[in-house]
Amino acid sequence: MLAHQVRIDMLSRKNLLAYGKFLLFSGVAIWLVTAGARGANYRWQWYRVPQFFFSSEGTGPLLQGLLTTLGISALSLICALFLALITALFRLSRSFTARTLARAYLELIRNTPLLIQIFFVYFVLSPILNIGAFASAVLALSLFEGSYAAEILRAGIVSLPRGQWEAAHSLGLGLFETYRSVILPQALRRVLPPLAGQAVSLIKDSSLVSTIAIYDLTMQGQKIVSETFLAFEIWFTIAAIYLVLTFALSMAVRFLERRISEKHSWWIGAHP
Amino acid sequence: MIDNMEAPIIEAVDIIKTFSGGVVALDHFSLTVQRGETVVVIGPSGSGKSTFLRCLNGLEEIDGGSITIDRIPLDRHRSNRLFIRREVGMVFQSFNLFPHMTVRKNIDLAQMHVRKKTRAQAEEKTLALLKKVGISEKVDRYPHELSGGQQQRVAIARALAMEPKVMLFDEATSALDHEMIGEVLEVMRKLAAEGMTMVVVTHEMGFAREVGDRIVFMEAGKIVEEAPTRQFFEAPRKERTKAFLRQIL
Repeated sequence: MLAHQVRIDMLSRKNLLAYGKFLLFSGVAIWLVTAGARGANYRWQWYRVPQFFFSSEGTGPLLQGLLTTLGISALSLICALFLALITALFRLSRSFTARTLARAYLELIRNTPLLIQIFFVYFVLSPILNIGAFASAVLALSLFEGSYAAEILRAGIVSLPRGQWEAAHSLGLGLFETYRSVILPQALRRVLPPLAGQAVSLIKDSSLVSTIAIYDLTMQGQKIVSETFLAFEIWFTIAAIYLVLTFALSMAVRFLERRISEKHSWWIGAHP
Repeated sequence: MIDNMEAPIIEAVDIIKTFSGGVVALDHFSLTVQRGETVVVIGPSGSGKSTFLRCLNGLEEIDGGSITIDRIPLDRHRSNRLFIRREVGMVFQSFNLFPHMTVRKNIDLAQMHVRKKTRAQAEEKTLALLKKVGISEKVDRYPHELSGGQQQRVAIARALAMEPKVMLFDEATSALDHEMIGEVLEVMRKLAAEGMTMVVVTHEMGFAREVGDRIVFMEAGKIVEEAPTRQFFEAPRKERTKAFLRQIL
């Protein structure tokens, strides 16, 4: 009882310290920016920002960019997870061909820059496949994030105790059924946090598709800045939007985890 | 038909199993088990008892010799291997229940996906089996909410749900606290009495003595002595057996 109390005290003290540090650092950061702006004789014009969200004709460029970013990210996330699953299973397959294929894909994608991959897909593959910029962006992002998610998923699968495989084997379950009913549900539970991290990376990386003339959030920002010279205000705003997006995603995953653990006690109990 | 019934259900002939690193786990090991028989395999740890069981249902590949279950050879043919996996049930030392499924789902799963039963058919069997192993009230619990003894009884019910021809018990009570061993042995005793063919690896000599039809004592991958239970405990022939029995009894 006492030890428990002490632990909580220490935890809350640690939290308090963390909040303190956070406030201190953000204070310093804000001061630096404003001081820097004053030094450069920068005239803040925040009042000009809202019009880029809601213009007289309806949604403004920033909101449209946000929607594009969201669309690309969501589509890419779905494709990336699918690709990751296939790749992880190939990596763990008995077939030499499947393993080699998966390895080649992983090495190729993980050892080249995403920007080059985006260019490659857009300028080389898209004319061949006859797809547009949007599809190229989704393809490139899926290939890239899928390779990282595949390794996360694989790690989750091999982290399960061998006894789970053996029990399924001795019950006569086939490979497909073993993965579907026994292995993947447990593996996914274990890798949900790192997968969520990968999804956050995906959202941030999606800003690179602005280079192939997709009017995502970043591209809209560039355009507005080049027309209005509101560099500080617009880039701060855009950074804040990305932050809200990724933070909301992290929170959503955490909420999801908590919900499942409330409903299904194995979610905690399965934790070794 | 009669001939069919009398053929031994397990025939292991001259099995060789070598692990990477050169450890010989089974060294020309042969054993025949008749239908309805309970064979208890004992021996010091590392003698190859568990390896033998794991070879019987294909969890380990053998490097030589042959295994035949119910006249089906455990060879390279997928259909044969699948048949044997279905017909041979196994209970593990560490239970290996599926932690993300309730007791009910654990037992339903293979019935539905391997035996192709409907959910209703599977449920009926599941409830009957849980009653048999004495934990009907835990049907909607998750494994981690159960004691070790209860988990192992669920694992037995799960294996039985496949209606296997043979049950393998790999040190089924070794991971259990003392007070829970009895409840698991009780279930195994009941099974043996019902005429289930069982191969049991255990350290429980009392159980071996009471339930086993035949005792196989092994060491270093070989059979030291094999005899009907009474004879084994009361009149062992080999010096090594006598020494082992003196140590553990």
